[in-house]
Amino acid sequence: MTAIRNPAARVRSHRGTDLLLRVLTFLVLGLAAIAIVAPFLWIFRGAISPTDAELYRLPPTLPSAPAVGNFGKVFAQVPFAQFALNSIIVATSITLLQLITASTAGYAFARLNFRGKNVAFTIVIGGLMIPLQVTIVPLFLIMTNLGLTNTLWALILPPIFSAFGIFLMRQHFLSLPRELEEAARIDGAGHLRMFFQVMLPLSGPALATLAILTFTYWWNDLFVPLVMISSVNQETLPVGLVLLAGRYGTGSLGTIAAGITMAIIPVLIVFILAQRWIVQSIASSGLKI
Amino acid sequence: MSLPSARGIGGDVLRGVTPGSERPQRKTRRGDGLAAAGFLAPSGIGFLLFVLTPTVGVVLLSFFDWNLLSPPSFVGGANYLQLFKDHHLLAVFGSTTYMAVAILAINIVIGLLLAVLLEVRMPRWIRGFFRLSFLFPFVVSSSAVALIWRFLLDKDFGLVNYWLSFLGIQHINWLGTTQWAPVAIILVNSWKTLGFSILIYIAGLQGIPNEVREAAIVDGANAWTRFWRITFPLLSPTVFFLLVINTINAFQVFAEPRVLTQGGPGDSSRTIVEYIYDTAFQGFEIGYASTVGLTLVLLLVILTLIQFRLSRRWTFYE
Repeated sequence: MTAIRNPAARVRSHRGTDLLLRVLTFLVLGLAAIAIVAPFLWIFRGAISPTDAELYRLPPTLPSAPAVGNFGKVFAQVPFAQFALNSIIVATSITLLQLITASTAGYAFARLNFRGKNVAFTIVIGGLMIPLQVTIVPLFLIMTNLGLTNTLWALILPPIFSAFGIFLMRQHFLSLPRELEEAARIDGAGHLRMFFQVMLPLSGPALATLAILTFTYWWNDLFVPLVMISSVNQETLPVGLVLLAGRYGTGSLGTIAAGITMAIIPVLIVFILAQRWIVQSIASSGLKI
Repeated sequence: MSLPSARGIGGDVLRGVTPGSERPQRKTRRGDGLAAAGFLAPSGIGFLLFVLTPTVGVVLLSFFDWNLLSPPSFVGGANYLQLFKDHHLLAVFGSTTYMAVAILAINIVIGLLLAVLLEVRMPRWIRGFFRLSFLFPFVVSSSAVALIWRFLLDKDFGLVNYWLSFLGIQHINWLGTTQWAPVAIILVNSWKTLGFSILIYIAGLQGIPNEVREAAIVDGANAWTRFWRITFPLLSPTVFFLLVINTINAFQVFAEPRVLTQGGPGDSSRTIVEYIYDTAFQGFEIGYASTVGLTLVLLLVILTLIQFRLSRRWTFYE
């Protein structure tokens, strides 16, 4: 676009500002990293503090003698293992169900022609704007009538239709080349074979992206279990932590810190291992509206 | 070199939304309708049972007075009139909007800044460390995050006030004053949601071909010009995606006020969703809670439509 008359001079004049910019960059990144990591470190430290007095000591230093007693107290106060199991069951089931419902519907909207397609798709888009938080009362009544409140079904079933998921999968299927489909059709592939053997094998990143976003969202949800569940043994981790801190807390902050730590550590390990893959999946699924 | 933004601005965002507009419509083959019914059935059942029925239910309930125990009584538009008389509602909409706008701005602007800064040349392990720390809160539950911050923001023993005291700022009552409670919710919610935004930004930045950027460097464009003329236009679909999703999420904040402030003091940190929850499940005004819920849907529809309309001016689709 522009002819550079003297590249060397240009580079030299930039060197001073470049260094300053780099220092600033690392300062900003470093401060942000500290602001995000420090609270976690502080809560891990709280979990191994023998007394609450030590936990609240300022400035915070490492506990004089690390203790593991807090972890035992968590299990004594609430059915923590049950919470974790419930969370795993709920988040995994919702994810698997949405992978099925969203990929099949996304395929129909992207690759099939049928009457009423535009109307149906407009309705799906409309569904994006009706949050579960608004329809929660009728949902609660439906679940009551089905006799499912206080069971994990009340948490698993409501999100099986996902407007976002359908949209994501439709965009993905639209991006696959048409020639592929035509070649398979000449080979005599029907709709089922087309979907399972031609389309799905090319959908890894899109399916992974949907799975990651769905799993983390429902793993973390506090709202639906708070409404649907009232018996302690059916609660999930997010509610369980609130119970530990509130109704069941004996006032020991170390116990709460230990509960939070146990809820975080497994996720942290999975996340460290899968991080690169998660970013790549989302990058190659081309998340767009 | 021609810059993509020049020809791309005004790229129609709805292009992807209107089915069949991408390519000439194929003639409908026999059997497509039946197959479509089959493929749509799983989602269709879920939609009928858990979206359509409850939505119709909310609309119906909004015309009734009901406390879950005695039979519901039809009250016509009384709940809708109540919307205008309810001064709590106005306050709740005010606090929700205040917090949502701030959360949105932090996510869109600071998220983008951090994601772009991560692209600066640096050793692999340092980039890995930064990326991991930025993204991690995304996978931690809001209630765990809120509980952690309940400790940190404590007026007397909290770490935040302790560090602020070195800057000469004394004892901010983060959770107990109308001035600071919404700020606390904004900080805690952004602290968590930023991870998602940065994740999506990083993924979007990876999708920009290196050749384009290298070409700009060879052309002698400085970092500022490169960002606004190359990176931002190519990233605009990602920014738009985050704008839409983060708006919808920011207006549905629940866990943080629930755990940190219970919406108080007054209604200063109460969100619409919390108000719906309180009205329905603590005040047992099922009909009115449904009416309030419908106002949230209306608000989201209007905001999303505005965003789509405005986006045509600044997003660029290849």
